[in-house]
Amino acid sequence: MTTVAWAHAQSAAPARPTPLRRYAWITLVAATSTVVGVIWDISWHRSIGRDTFWTPAHLAIYLGGVLAGGSCGWLVLRTTFSRSPDERAAGVRFWGFRGPFGAWLCVWGALAMVTSAPLDNWWHNAYGLDVKVLSPPHTLLALGMWSIQLGALLLAAAVQNEAASDRARRAAGLMVAYLAGLLLENAAILGIEQVGFANAGHNALYYEFAAGVFPVVLLAAGRGARLAWPATTAAATYMMTSLIMIWVLQLFPATPKLAPVFNPLTHMVPAPFPVLLVAPAVVIDLLIRRLPGRDWLLAGLAGVAFVSVLLAVQWVFTAFLLSPAARTFAFGVDHWDYSSRLGPWRYQFWRTRTDPLTPRALGVAVLLAVASARLGVWAGNWTAQIRR
Amino acid sequence: MTARRGWALAAIALATWAHVGSPDTYFEGAAGPYPLRVTVRDPGVVPGLAAISVRVLAPISVARVTVLPVYWDPRSAPPQPDLATRVPGDSTLFSAALWLMRPGAYSVRVSVEGPLGPGVVLVPVAAVATRRRELGPPLAALLAALGVLLLAGAITLVGAAVRESTLAPGAAPDHPQTRRARRAMALSALVFALLLFGARGWWNVVDTAYRRTLYRAPHASAAVRREGGATLVRLAIDDTAGTGTPGQGTPLIPDHGHLMHLFLIEDATLGAFAHLHPLTRDSVTFEARLPPLPPGRYRVYADVVFESGFAQTLSATADVRSPTATWRPSDSDDAWTAEQPATDSGRAMVTGSLRDGSTMTWERGASPLVAGRDAPLRFVVRARDGRAATLEPYLGMAGHLVLSRSDGAVFVHLHPAGTISLASQRAFLLREPGDTLAGTLGRRLAEQVAHAPHVSPVGPGGVVSFPYAFPQPGRYRLWVEVKRGGRILTGVFDAEVRPPAS
Repeated sequence: MTTVAWAHAQSAAPARPTPLRRYAWITLVAATSTVVGVIWDISWHRSIGRDTFWTPAHLAIYLGGVLAGGSCGWLVLRTTFSRSPDERAAGVRFWGFRGPFGAWLCVWGALAMVTSAPLDNWWHNAYGLDVKVLSPPHTLLALGMWSIQLGALLLAAAVQNEAASDRARRAAGLMVAYLAGLLLENAAILGIEQVGFANAGHNALYYEFAAGVFPVVLLAAGRGARLAWPATTAAATYMMTSLIMIWVLQLFPATPKLAPVFNPLTHMVPAPFPVLLVAPAVVIDLLIRRLPGRDWLLAGLAGVAFVSVLLAVQWVFTAFLLSPAARTFAFGVDHWDYSSRLGPWRYQFWRTRTDPLTPRALGVAVLLAVASARLGVWAGNWTAQIRR
Repeated sequence: MTARRGWALAAIALATWAHVGSPDTYFEGAAGPYPLRVTVRDPGVVPGLAAISVRVLAPISVARVTVLPVYWDPRSAPPQPDLATRVPGDSTLFSAALWLMRPGAYSVRVSVEGPLGPGVVLVPVAAVATRRRELGPPLAALLAALGVLLLAGAITLVGAAVRESTLAPGAAPDHPQTRRARRAMALSALVFALLLFGARGWWNVVDTAYRRTLYRAPHASAAVRREGGATLVRLAIDDTAGTGTPGQGTPLIPDHGHLMHLFLIEDATLGAFAHLHPLTRDSVTFEARLPPLPPGRYRVYADVVFESGFAQTLSATADVRSPTATWRPSDSDDAWTAEQPATDSGRAMVTGSLRDGSTMTWERGASPLVAGRDAPLRFVVRARDGRAATLEPYLGMAGHLVLSRSDGAVFVHLHPAGTISLASQRAFLLREPGDTLAGTLGRRLAEQVAHAPHVSPVGPGGVVSFPYAFPQPGRYRLWVEVKRGGRILTGVFDAEVRPPAS
């Protein structure tokens, strides 16, 4: 099926009421707050160990939920009970209420986050404090945060697609790409074991995981954000967010507060250096420009290109990250949890015998990348059409 | 035996480590020059947060109290200790939270700084997962309501996305679009149902895995048999597959000079009690000569301490058929009684007579005993002439208090130092980084005990007191053991403990 993503942009549409842009900005701040909070929280657990309900990292996550849920809840009420028929008509129906689709996603996300709180509290009382990051209540919390981030993206997309001027459209397009960058960050956080540490850079799983999770977002951004280099912008956002957090977190003093302490560190442990996604993203942007409307061909070529470029770049770059030259503030490598027993494994590639990158594994990665890219093209086309 | 009692006896085997049905730790002792009472409230889950309170028992203005739970691992450094905060309105009480992250024996290092210099004391605390809190009906209802709302909301979102998210503002969805939206909603409902089914499976896996880590003492069985002219009680540890405490597999160490303290309590009326010190037949079998207890079914409890510092109470039942005519104790510290209790009539003083003609008075105060509140367990022994008796150390302590709830749901063996095992405390004190081989510390401990056995000072005035709070309401029997004139004397009392006011 061929979908012309930009079609609706040309149709004469009334200018979006200005407030929607304001709400898009608020939810963008909320989404950023949740992502920053999660990166901070992971660093907190790796450096200090123990936490309370009120750690700054947790507060950043809650702030995201409150901002998104509160502002979008108000937007829904405002849209539903607006005296202006235009404003009411700019929303989708939901149980008798009206509001922009992205706003509903944010409200749902905030409610999921609220629901996870009493469940998580009971969970700690029933099964003990968290030893694993992924538990059912944490998954619900993560779903809530993702919903808020996606809702913010779709609100920005609605603003973009209904923008009256090129300038406004470009500004909203930048917001869409930025929020796609946050989704890439989410995928990287989720896969910290698989694609986080440079030590995994010569494993099959590294490329298979990356091929599965990154192309869907890159292609969705590429087709959904109206910019010259949308996928590249999203990838750059992901990398800059990661780098800023790496640089800032290293500056904060921290002392482990849970036994056993095998690595008596003095500062917060930053996240590993990000994957150089900008490189495959540039190629994906070039392909998107050259293949308008040819969804399957685009997905196929983008999948192959993604794995090829990623392999070429990361195979060498991860080796560099393990070398002494990379052990600087700028790269932020060689920082390990307080519970790690330090050893030569820090500078070695892991699981190269048990999980080597074979031609078969590369084939699997390409197939995953193509499927992921096709899903991304579909999502991007829909994003480009969102109008309310 | 009633069905209720039978159930309680069965439950004992599932819920014991040191003591039965009494998970909190009470300690009274000195951190250098500062007399303290330390209470640690058991979190019931591991990893979990235990609340610790430290009360300074002297009018000394203490500057700082810190607490640090230490899990023995010579390869690691301990984290920074936590500062206990002064409880508002009470200048002698400090509180903090202990992070107990792994199951097993911890030593909590309580440090005090004040005008008399620094003082440190180690309080043994066992961290074991003992319960899985149920999801209460109000919370379950709230979560179910929110869950339904989220699910219905998610399905509606899918419908809204397909039906009108891409329509120009003001345009109404046409019939095919509405139909597509309905189909998408039905499909999404199916997908969400499958996801929920998967989530339920995940939850069940976590729950099952957690239940496997719940503490379970090794199974023990007790039997009474005749051998020659003597009647023997034998306790055998049937399996070593206890769960929840990795450190318990280390060898046993002596507590008060004995590897095992065996208690027998007559089940039906609590009318007879014995405190014996069996000898080892082999590494899992212990045997003692049985005193002339009246026939009946008996609850049997065995207190042991492992080299890891983990103290444990094994439990079983045994039937005593006919009383022994003569009794030659296996150990000179063995004692028993079938005396009737001095009844708790709510008076401030309850006095009972002892075998040698002296009396023991429980100065329990006029207030009723309430579960969860510090109990006034202060006893005074007086000679026939009414003067305060001079007590001697019994098993190295001024006195021993064994108490049990009538249904057996609670069994505790207390000392003036509280619920802790002094052997555990000593094990933590003597540990060295090289003690990685099982038995090394135990041998050193045994040598030290042989050269300098631990004897706590016996207070003047025939007084012996115990720091404790009854864990549950109900009817209790107390056996207070002291030594006077070379004889072990046991005072027996009853107590009615009320539930805390809600």
